[in-house]
Amino acid sequence: MMIELCPSAEIAEGEIKRVDVEGLPAVAIARHEGALYVFPDRCPHADESLAEGWLEDGRVICGVHFAEFDLDTGEVHNPPVGCPNLSFFKCEDRDGTVFALLTGDNANV
Amino acid sequence: MCEGDCKGAAKGRPNMKPVYPKAGSYPDFAKLVDRENAQVDRRVFTDEQVYQAELRQIFARSWLFLAHESQIPNPGDFVRTSMGEDDVIVVRQRDGSVNAFLNSCPHRGNRVCMVDAGKKARGFICNYHGWSFGIDGALRGTDGKVYEKDETFEKAQIGLTPVAQVDSYKGLIFGTFDPDAVSLLEFFGDFTYYLDIMLDNDEGGTEFIGGAIKSEIDCNWKFPAENFVGDILHAFWTHQSGAQAILGGGVDLGKRYDELAFQASIYGHGIETNLDKVGNTRTLGYPDLVDYAFELSEKAKDRLGELRARAIGAVSSCTVFPNFSFLPGQNTFRVWHPRGPGKIELVVWTLVNKNAPDHIKEQYRKGVMMTFSPGGVFEMDDGENWEYSTRVNQGFVTRQQPLHYALGIESADMERDLPGHIHKGSLNDANQRLFYTRWAEFMEHDNWTDLQNGATAAPKKTATAAE
Repeated sequence: MMIELCPSAEIAEGEIKRVDVEGLPAVAIARHEGALYVFPDRCPHADESLAEGWLEDGRVICGVHFAEFDLDTGEVHNPPVGCPNLSFFKCEDRDGTVFALLTGDNANV
Repeated sequence: MCEGDCKGAAKGRPNMKPVYPKAGSYPDFAKLVDRENAQVDRRVFTDEQVYQAELRQIFARSWLFLAHESQIPNPGDFVRTSMGEDDVIVVRQRDGSVNAFLNSCPHRGNRVCMVDAGKKARGFICNYHGWSFGIDGALRGTDGKVYEKDETFEKAQIGLTPVAQVDSYKGLIFGTFDPDAVSLLEFFGDFTYYLDIMLDNDEGGTEFIGGAIKSEIDCNWKFPAENFVGDILHAFWTHQSGAQAILGGGVDLGKRYDELAFQASIYGHGIETNLDKVGNTRTLGYPDLVDYAFELSEKAKDRLGELRARAIGAVSSCTVFPNFSFLPGQNTFRVWHPRGPGKIELVVWTLVNKNAPDHIKEQYRKGVMMTFSPGGVFEMDDGENWEYSTRVNQGFVTRQQPLHYALGIESADMERDLPGHIHKGSLNDANQRLFYTRWAEFMEHDNWTDLQNGATAAPKKTATAAE
């Protein structure tokens, strides 16, 4: 089931925003070249918030150990040892509101 | 920490607030400078206890040079330097301000930055356990999903120790570990009048070019500092051969020496100059530079007045207490970092006016390398002297013998309307006496009220600067 997250206008170009979802772990929403990306607000390595990181050249940069995740594939670059790839949730902008598929434990790319 | 029968449980959570050491008072060390008889006891150059007192009294309190603004123009740009023996990171913040931090992780103390300088740093990660710090010094996170699960872990109060105060003056950034230290401007006093000779002689300001050159010299840090504060005397003998090679003649203080040359000192900072316009610039060996310095001298009369305009390229030298020195005209700026009583790490940069033509900047850069770098003719002359001035004091009997600092003891100039303690002639030990008097004030006093109102403070008569 797609879950409503927030008005898409709240996600500025080049920014990452954290959104708390009732009953589920918080998610992060990023906008790059107009497109929206939704992913867990938790780096796969050390449980730190990715919304406190930033976007750079089409990648999410974790602000803690500077791992870089491609926005399209989630592939990790410059990882600390043991840091897996990032997963993304399916998302849509429906008439100005961001919806994402947050079902189950695993993110849906 | 828990001791006794608490079986490994800590009684309290750690207080990780920065600790800024309090100064003490070392009257016995202050007496090593004999102001009455213009003598200095050689223990100030060799004694380990004196050196440790210097780190506490002088280097943990004084405003120390950190960087030029031009070295770190953008957020995340940083340089690594020292304050005394403390390793420090100087980094431009996102809001454009500059902060400085101890380069030491609060976890096990390892350094968090290993390189000398860099651009657009994202932060600093300790190599030991992966503790990660933002460019604002705050702890961002750790490694291994361990601390996150420990509910007693208080991340928010942990960070790199900030240098207590950071401020800049006309492009030069300084810092002090003392939260109670007077402002940078009060620390300079009216000495800014003389700093402006180099820092404000042209619209557009200044910049460092060509990186830094580092070297080590096995000497006490005060020998180079006192040399630059007021010793042009050595140039006639020490630098004679180098001057011959570059200029085809000896060191020349100008035809109007008796009328023009002077030394000025405030709070131990000192400058000696002969006001001969281009004497220092000539030693770099480029005729174009001499022309540039002459033209600059003419143009700068509007900004600085006649007297200071004559000082821009003149035979001259300057030290900002305790260990930051430069040579007007030759444009070499340097810090003598102490590394024990018998060793320094020397870092030198070349300063130019931003608006100077590119080929002029390039000639300053090359000229400084040929003269005042580890392979430069003048630096090598000086280094050997300072090493032996230090090393001979290994001799037990040798180091009982006082040193003579009495040139010009009756040369005070009470008439010339310039800021600070003015002495006639640049060939004089006056500034060096006042440098060591300032040193003694730091040894003696544990508070800034006494530090700022002692013998080295500017005499009242010159409270208002000339011009």
